[in-house]
Amino acid sequence: MSTALKDMIRNPTVAELELVARYAALKADPRRERLFEAFAQTGLPHRRIEDWRWSDFKAAVTALDLPATPPAADPLATDGVATLKFTPQGYTAPASLPPGLRLLAKDEVQAMSGAEDAPLGALAAALSGAKNAPATLMAEVTGETPVRLHMVFSGPGAINAARVVFLLRPGAQLEVSESHLGGAAFSTALVEYTLQQGARLSRIVYQRGGKTEAQAITALIHQDADAETKQTVLAFGARVARIETRLVHQETSSHATLNAAYLAGDGYHIDFTSHVRHGARACITRQVTKGAVLDGGRGVFQGKFHVPRNAGQQTDASMQHNALLLEDGAEVFAKPELEILADDVQCAHGNTSGALDQNQLFYLRQRGIPLEKARALLTEAFIAEALEDAGDHEEALRAEAQAWLSEVRPAPRSRMLSSMRWQTRCAPLMPTCIAASTRWQTRRPKLSKLPAKTCAHS
Amino acid sequence: MLKIQNLSATVGEGEAAKTIINGLSLEVPAGEVHAIMGPNGAGKSTLSYVLTGRDGYEVTGGNATLDGQDILAMEPEDRASAGLFLSFQYPVEIPGVPVMTFVRTAMNAQRKARGEPEISAPDYLKKSREVAKMLNLDADMLKRPVNVGFSGGEKKRLEIYQMLMLEPRFMVLDETDSGLDIDALRTVAEGVNALRAPERGMLVITHYQRLLDYIKPDKVHVLAKGRIIKTGGPELALRLEKEGYDGVLAEAV
Repeated sequence: MSTALKDMIRNPTVAELELVARYAALKADPRRERLFEAFAQTGLPHRRIEDWRWSDFKAAVTALDLPATPPAADPLATDGVATLKFTPQGYTAPASLPPGLRLLAKDEVQAMSGAEDAPLGALAAALSGAKNAPATLMAEVTGETPVRLHMVFSGPGAINAARVVFLLRPGAQLEVSESHLGGAAFSTALVEYTLQQGARLSRIVYQRGGKTEAQAITALIHQDADAETKQTVLAFGARVARIETRLVHQETSSHATLNAAYLAGDGYHIDFTSHVRHGARACITRQVTKGAVLDGGRGVFQGKFHVPRNAGQQTDASMQHNALLLEDGAEVFAKPELEILADDVQCAHGNTSGALDQNQLFYLRQRGIPLEKARALLTEAFIAEALEDAGDHEEALRAEAQAWLSEVRPAPRSRMLSSMRWQTRCAPLMPTCIAASTRWQTRRPKLSKLPAKTCAHS
Repeated sequence: MLKIQNLSATVGEGEAAKTIINGLSLEVPAGEVHAIMGPNGAGKSTLSYVLTGRDGYEVTGGNATLDGQDILAMEPEDRASAGLFLSFQYPVEIPGVPVMTFVRTAMNAQRKARGEPEISAPDYLKKSREVAKMLNLDADMLKRPVNVGFSGGEKKRLEIYQMLMLEPRFMVLDETDSGLDIDALRTVAEGVNALRAPERGMLVITHYQRLLDYIKPDKVHVLAKGRIIKTGGPELALRLEKEGYDGVLAEAV
């Protein structure tokens, strides 16, 4: 079997052969095989695959024995909150769990919906069950009181592949924080959340990887009627890091808020990819992504709303991505996509990239605030909107952003003033959305000159 | 105190560079308030930006010193720490940064640059309350992001609030009267006058004589085509109001 699978990956790299070997060493299971097949169709995703064109894992994960950097510190750890830990050596859970939370360590691999659309998520599922980790870790949340849980994914080791499947029973509430701290050469985590009627999920994600590491975090969220998800992510990237959220509104009146902020320094790459399917009437999605990038850093935003013809009527959805290029040599790639087939919807999207406003910088400096401090203050204010729904964790996340900004070395003035590279593509696929027609931007307009585009269908 | 000698400056780059300040000389001794009046395009705002170090202007000749210190060689933030303050004609909106955070950060940055200890939170709040009361500023306004959603008058009052908090040694007021109704003008002038002191100086840039009824200048200069063409006492402002710039300019040439 291993030979057949090896053949499925065209020109496998050393790292891919190692992944095949790790898979082959696990207990055979037809579901596991299907999951690995879903991964093997693409192998480690690379730039010739449309969805991965800006985030090339094949090129980044050359070998799995790279000396990894120590894991980052965990700003979300809170005393008294139950913590699950996922490391390359397996998983640990606390002896006592909060009321309303039940863990089930299953020996069988559970199927994953849409595995082909998320090859690194499928890989995480196919490789889970090694060492002392269960093949599938399931978590059931019940009751009226909010359940708090913290999860840490960190090295050291070669591969950290982890999967956890949450089921939120009707009306249940889960407040979960996830810290993805790197430390392994390659980490891939798959986290699934199914929200039954009226269930509420608050998900806070902190990602920070090393300069030699590759990290993939895939979340699959399914929402029944009146369910609500509030997600806030703060990411600093890695050699390559991808945070992917695939959310399905599968019954009426479900509500999702997907916010994210990223800060990418020299040598760091951070990719936010989201796919939201409005598969039921009158569902709401609010998405705000804000980022700032330095010379040698790279930010990627790929957001897609899919609104089917009949099911998606009365959809109310908005998507916003704003990036600051703090220095020449910073790169941001953005592809907001609205695929709207229903005719009674409200959908809006706005996408901007630009430098800090020179008028604002001068105003702060005229009051005596040094250039670097002024830049940090304005950048923090710029990304703050994306963090303001993080509840109890907002302060910790802002402190992390502040600390990063205060460490940014002074940029020579010439680097701040010359032109910057960026590109973006807006691709609404419906003819009725032609007002915001598909176009490539090759020049850098000022932030204020690129207004949010609104496509309203009624 | 402020001494400008034969100053020339251009705006724009390369071929497009245009001379706006053209051999300007001016001296404001400590303790005095001077007014600069002049028609549109005379270079009034450019002068304020050149003095404070905004990007996009190039000094091509002459010099400017504050108490003997060459300010033109300094970064904008260092000029501010040296005591130079500009009340902007068009105050800038800073979304996401509350007034309190902004002014306190500025105050402590200046103190740090001067080697002074930071202001404590209670001391800051006490001072802020006094200043806000004097300017009829709502306490809620100081919690909002700088200038965002403020009316024209509120923005100008916030400039004066910052001035009173930072207590600069030399102030440049660029058309602080524009956009103010008569009551707001009186309040703003009261704030400005509160800072008049033997060790401080002030340059008040304005189109209209009206402001000078409230902020009485020691001298009035007329700026045209990038230089001072006439200097006089407060009566010069009244003459300008009556005869217009054309009359005074014709006589000067």
